Amino acid sequence: MTVPDLYSAGIASGWNVVDAATLAAPLALDADVAIVGSGAGGGVAAEILSDAGLRVVLLEEGALRTSGSFRDMDEGRAYRELYQEGAARATADGAIAILQGRAVGGSTTVNWSSSFRTPPQTLAHWAAHHAVSGHAAADMAPWFARMEARLSVAPWGMAPNGNNGVLKRGCDKLGWESHVIPRNVRGCWNSGYCGLGCPVNAKQSMLVSTIPAALARGATLVHRVRVRAFAHDGKTVGALAGEALGADGRTPTGVAVTVRARHYVAAGGAINTPALLLRSRAPDPHQRLGLRTFIHPVNLSIAVMPEQVDPYYGAPQSVASDHFQWKDGATGAIGYKLEVPPLLPGISAGVFGSVGEALRADMAALPRTNAMLALLRDGFVPHSEGGRVRIAGDGSPVLDYDMNDYLWDGVRRAWLSMAEAQFAAGALRVRPAHLDAPYYADWASARAGIAALPLAKFRAALFSAHLMGGCGMSDEPRLGVVDSGGRHHQLNNLSVLDGSVFPTSIGANPQLSVFALSAQNAHGLAARLVR
Amino acid sequence: MHAPCTAPPGALSRRGFLKVGLGFSAALACAGLLPALSGCAPAPTNPAAGMRFLRDGDVALFGALLPAVADELAAREPGQRALHLGQALHNIDDTCAAMDANARAELRKLLDLLAIGPLRRVLGGVRDDWRHTDAAQARRFLARWRASRFATLNAGAVVLVKLCGVAYYLLPAAWAGAGYPGPNPTVFNALHA
Repeated sequence: MTVPDLYSAGIASGWNVVDAATLAAPLALDADVAIVGSGAGGGVAAEILSDAGLRVVLLEEGALRTSGSFRDMDEGRAYRELYQEGAARATADGAIAILQGRAVGGSTTVNWSSSFRTPPQTLAHWAAHHAVSGHAAADMAPWFARMEARLSVAPWGMAPNGNNGVLKRGCDKLGWESHVIPRNVRGCWNSGYCGLGCPVNAKQSMLVSTIPAALARGATLVHRVRVRAFAHDGKTVGALAGEALGADGRTPTGVAVTVRARHYVAAGGAINTPALLLRSRAPDPHQRLGLRTFIHPVNLSIAVMPEQVDPYYGAPQSVASDHFQWKDGATGAIGYKLEVPPLLPGISAGVFGSVGEALRADMAALPRTNAMLALLRDGFVPHSEGGRVRIAGDGSPVLDYDMNDYLWDGVRRAWLSMAEAQFAAGALRVRPAHLDAPYYADWASARAGIAALPLAKFRAALFSAHLMGGCGMSDEPRLGVVDSGGRHHQLNNLSVLDGSVFPTSIGANPQLSVFALSAQNAHGLAARLVR
Repeated sequence: MHAPCTAPPGALSRRGFLKVGLGFSAALACAGLLPALSGCAPAPTNPAAGMRFLRDGDVALFGALLPAVADELAAREPGQRALHLGQALHNIDDTCAAMDANARAELRKLLDLLAIGPLRRVLGGVRDDWRHTDAAQARRFLARWRASRFATLNAGAVVLVKLCGVAYYLLPAAWAGAGYPGPNPTVFNALHA
């Protein structure tokens, strides 16, 4: 069967979609609002601002790839075409691998579709410690409801796949809290390939929802264009300057793309939005820009089960546990959320990190393998100040993120929790993703072994798929880059609508937090612009 | 307004820089002198034929490391082995070419260091040119770097192993060894019917 390609039909009906790679001459556009980035923040903003009757230009560095090119369900193609730095993005020292999307739809095109409301503890912490207003749980509730309805978010109704089933069984055996994950899908085929671009347009990413809606309202999408900088006089942005990228999606062709607008929205996500503002030399009198970048540091535990798990098939994330999330309150020892990652062969080899015979054995056991991950909730105490985005000589972003005792304590406790849950679920053997960790045959030896693992970058395999902060919001200019409405404190016609405004990490997969907060603030922006 | 921050900021990241970045930089500073001292010609700096990032010396390095990391590659008959090795090398090249400037520069330091004979022997314990290094020797090199108390060497081994392992297991030819039947057949067959 053929899945209808939304874009070829749309473009035939008159949508304004420009592939900057094909431009032979400079392109200059005028708009009411220019949005840089088409992910969870920019995609939502594009729909809301277009609906308000504003002329929107949406700019995206990645390429437009649609369901037709996802049909191969191939891991290598997805990493090459849909991820930042070919899925090889990492912190500056290479110690923490970063999975972040780079395509029309941003990370929503490739994420695993988990859609949690921002925990009320997180929202309360922002109000109490970061001078954030208007985003209390009661303020946000209608925006969560609105985006849940818009993107078909609902707890997953089918049985969890084998990989998620291990987490559920372990939690049940141990009496730990667990819950079914809400997912943004409509007519999901339960294939398990969310991370490679949904081949059946079931995942309600920005690619198939808000961006087509904005285009139908007359918005213009320019893809394969890298926005270099906002031109400004210290008070007002006058234009944005971009460069077209060639067919490889990376090399500038030398063709300039310029947009002049009444208002500008930065929505490149954490890492890319702070880097854009650094390249633009945006005013930063209190030295906040790029600081407090949070990543939900992730560590993993690998288990070989007696039964077939097929961890590559079926909805990749459908069960989570918050048993260890708020145990010590928001500001005690670091909390973490337990989930599982899908295990396709390529990413699995990277997670195993083994060599020769050991890698061959690890891979051969893949069909019976479960992996668990812990998302560490960074940023809630003074000694968890996150990382810092800076820019390299060519203007590309660099993220420094250091580990400290507060974070390492969480890493070790999370390995213990995951191993305990895996053995409770019946695991034959368990190994933390760590250079020095062997497979443990039972919980007692795992407990003793994990207690002695050296806590050091590179020895412990660390990951992040959740980039947050770097342009933190606060009504107090000393504390933030933007105010609670997303308005830049110094540049009066610039807003930031993406995950880079979060003052801390979220404590859950962040896409619905980005959707709802961006919707609320885009709505406020639309009201100001059409007044 | 302040200048964009291009220097490593703060004590925390400076420490990280010393641990990783400077390790390779210092080794390379010595390496720069070596060709002059030993009378060797400098290595070519353009990509190998058909590659965008990897140079001839890098191709030789990964040609030795790939069968060491993915040992089933070593067991293939020569024709298959050359084919799959070539495909995995291209996967590595694609990944490296996609990296941003900082990561590419760090990786280049690592690869240059390993391309220089005296440094390869002293730091890696590998006597022969990578073209003549067998899988057991390459594994000893990786094990030595992984076990090192220097985070710089740990980092080097981790990144090399990851590049090789991922690049190989992305290949359809590797899926049987992972028990992966390929794209979810129900969905794949419906989409390709």
